[in-house]
Amino acid sequence: MIEVAGLTKNYGEIRALHNVSFSIADGEVFGLLGPNGAGKTTTIKILTTLSNPDAGRCVIDGYDISGSPHEIRKRIGVVPQENNLDRELSAYENLLIYGMLHSVKERGRRIREVLETVGLWERRDSVVQHFSGGMQRRLILARALLPEPSALFLDEPSVGLDPQIRRHIWDVIRKIRKDRRTVVITTHYIEEAEALCDRVGILSKGRVIALDAPGRLKEQVGDYVVEFVDEDGRLVQHVCRSRAEADEKARSIEKAVTIRQANLEDVFIKLTGERIE
Amino acid sequence: MKALSGWYPVFLREMLLFRRKLLRLSYLFSAMIVPLIYLVAFGFGLGGSVKIHGTSYLAFLIPGLVAMSSMNNSYTWVASALNLNRLYFKTFQIFVQSPISHSAIMAGEVLAGMVKGLFASMLIILVGFATAPGFTVTPLFLLTLLLNCFLFASLGIITGMRAKSHEDTATYTNFFIMPMAFFSGTFFPLDKVPIIIKAIIYIMPLTHTNILIRKTSLDAEGLVSLGVLCAYAGVIFFYGSRIIRRYSE
Repeated sequence: MIEVAGLTKNYGEIRALHNVSFSIADGEVFGLLGPNGAGKTTTIKILTTLSNPDAGRCVIDGYDISGSPHEIRKRIGVVPQENNLDRELSAYENLLIYGMLHSVKERGRRIREVLETVGLWERRDSVVQHFSGGMQRRLILARALLPEPSALFLDEPSVGLDPQIRRHIWDVIRKIRKDRRTVVITTHYIEEAEALCDRVGILSKGRVIALDAPGRLKEQVGDYVVEFVDEDGRLVQHVCRSRAEADEKARSIEKAVTIRQANLEDVFIKLTGERIE
Repeated sequence: MKALSGWYPVFLREMLLFRRKLLRLSYLFSAMIVPLIYLVAFGFGLGGSVKIHGTSYLAFLIPGLVAMSSMNNSYTWVASALNLNRLYFKTFQIFVQSPISHSAIMAGEVLAGMVKGLFASMLIILVGFATAPGFTVTPLFLLTLLLNCFLFASLGIITGMRAKSHEDTATYTNFFIMPMAFFSGTFFPLDKVPIIIKAIIYIMPLTHTNILIRKTSLDAEGLVSLGVLCAYAGVIFFYGSRIIRRYSE
């Protein structure tokens, strides 16, 4: 169980988080969706004890982040945005050090298990600097899983990866979900949030502006979107409640139009007037 | 001692990386080049015609070069690696987010820095045995060497944690390390230095390393230097641990 209440964080004059509150149930996959600079990484850094909040309270499995960071660290796994691996060490050595830091029992067996989970056991003795970006990402995922954390935090787990590798990362996350671990994912990929998350908190300029299951969030805007490019080259969108309404709207526009199902970006646009990218 | 449990993986990581570095000749070269240049320029060049306190200049210089080299290597490798690991590679964050104490992180990093400092010092000591007949290694010499490595590896942590960029670490080096290397009695005895300058020189920890490392037994002056070095080492280690404990992004 993760509870966040009134979380606020400032970097000098810039307010990165403003009174952010949410709670996440055990075994839930929770997404933080928003554009760059919305406060997603700051939230993850605070929840994983890397950053101290200026105000507010975070509790994970009954332990307060400010009062018991040591207990929190025993219970969490972190996949940061950067591939922070020791590039001159092998995959196995990277996991060995991490396993020792987290006092993982039966280290050899666990390292084999997690490397097999991400499909890197055969490459265990290869030096990480020879790994592709996708392999490094998978290795970091394996590293985060090594101590069998009750909560896993993934900061932009598939950013910069090609679609095939992204799907592979998603498959691993779905496997983790089956183990009933709590997973917190930050992403600015709409499809990632929709594909993986039970609930999504939409962040904009350091505030949570919406929070619900992806389906229910989309219900707030409508089911279909009719969109076309106007004379000035701007994308114009109309959200419709039904397919019939969308068809009727499309017929009324004397231009080439696209009708598609609404997604979480439409929710974001409705709430902020801006796109997520 | 519970606070220090967890130091070993921090140390082991550095040793695994160090082992890989040792396989590259460029590392050995960079560890050796500066003291060897001084040895050739001052020891063999100037030193042939100079005697200090009745002994050859080379026998005077070698312990100073060992002190300087142990300082440089313990300090630089820790400061530089920690700064890069914290700001660019973000691997330092793995330690901060793991359930080990700040003192354990400090201890593991400092011990690894000591190994690097001792390794470079051993190379100079071997050169000393080969070139300076009056040069000996006493238990006090080894104790001083260990203390010096500990002190400057701890100082390296402070720089590595405080410097806001990798370039910034050079500023710290130029202000603190370079003056110490030249004015702390590495190359010349301090007895003829003007009293005002001497007061400043005696604040520098390397001065006390140089005093202590050249003594065959612990006299009153040596005891004072040992006390100063221990005090510096304790304060710097404590301060470095405190910076790690307060780390927040």
